[in-house]
Amino acid sequence: MSLNLQQILASKRVLRQKLAGRPLAEKLRLLDDLRERELSLRRSGPPATSNVVREQPAKYRQGRRK
Amino acid sequence: MKIKEVITTINQMQADGVIERQAIGGAVGATFYLEPVATLDVDVFVSFRTEPGKLIVTPQRIFDYLTARGHSLEGEYVVIGGWPVQFLPPTGALVEEALREAVTMDVEGLPARVFTAEHLAAIALQTGRAKDKARLLQFVEAGALDGGRFEAVLTRHGLLDRWREFQGQFLSETP
Repeated sequence: MSLNLQQILASKRVLRQKLAGRPLAEKLRLLDDLRERELSLRRSGPPATSNVVREQPAKYRQGRRK
Repeated sequence: MKIKEVITTINQMQADGVIERQAIGGAVGATFYLEPVATLDVDVFVSFRTEPGKLIVTPQRIFDYLTARGHSLEGEYVVIGGWPVQFLPPTGALVEEALREAVTMDVEGLPARVFTAEHLAAIALQTGRAKDKARLLQFVEAGALDGGRFEAVLTRHGLLDRWREFQGQFLSETP
């Protein structure tokens, strides 16, 4: 382990490349797991308030979401 | 794998003639080329068959088909295998082309129609939100784009200036 930022960034890049190179089915299984985790985190967090800053929907979605 | 149920269902919808063309886009589409990133829904781009005598194309037929097969609706999403799926019509020439030129990938023997990496990247550039820019950077950093094909897409859809701006902002050594 190192505290060298360049090394840390390089190792992150390697990890991302490894993940990207995994078999497709495995990556899609990871998507299922990531979604479960994201939902679990959202459920455990404080409820959103009305003055929270949010991103705009994508153009292809504008007018479709309420 | 739950998302396999989404792919199976949209393939069946196409085979049954409910939709004419379909392809996965968005973050799930990007996962076919990049490392997986957390996303809550699936974007499925579809073209509809126009019903005889009807000028307005609506997704009602999709909803009827899916609810008849036990899938529930949540707002404008249909829940398939636990995933909220949004069916999106192409809203411009770029997405229309992406749908036409989508490729078939094999997921454990199951064919999945997905936008090409170049179209996903061009759509991200066109959409232009922070997370779209981050996705575009991922495509570039991963070396997932064919330079010639990407530039051809950008040229056809008038996105070269925006691409140069993006390059200057994020891909240049000198800020």
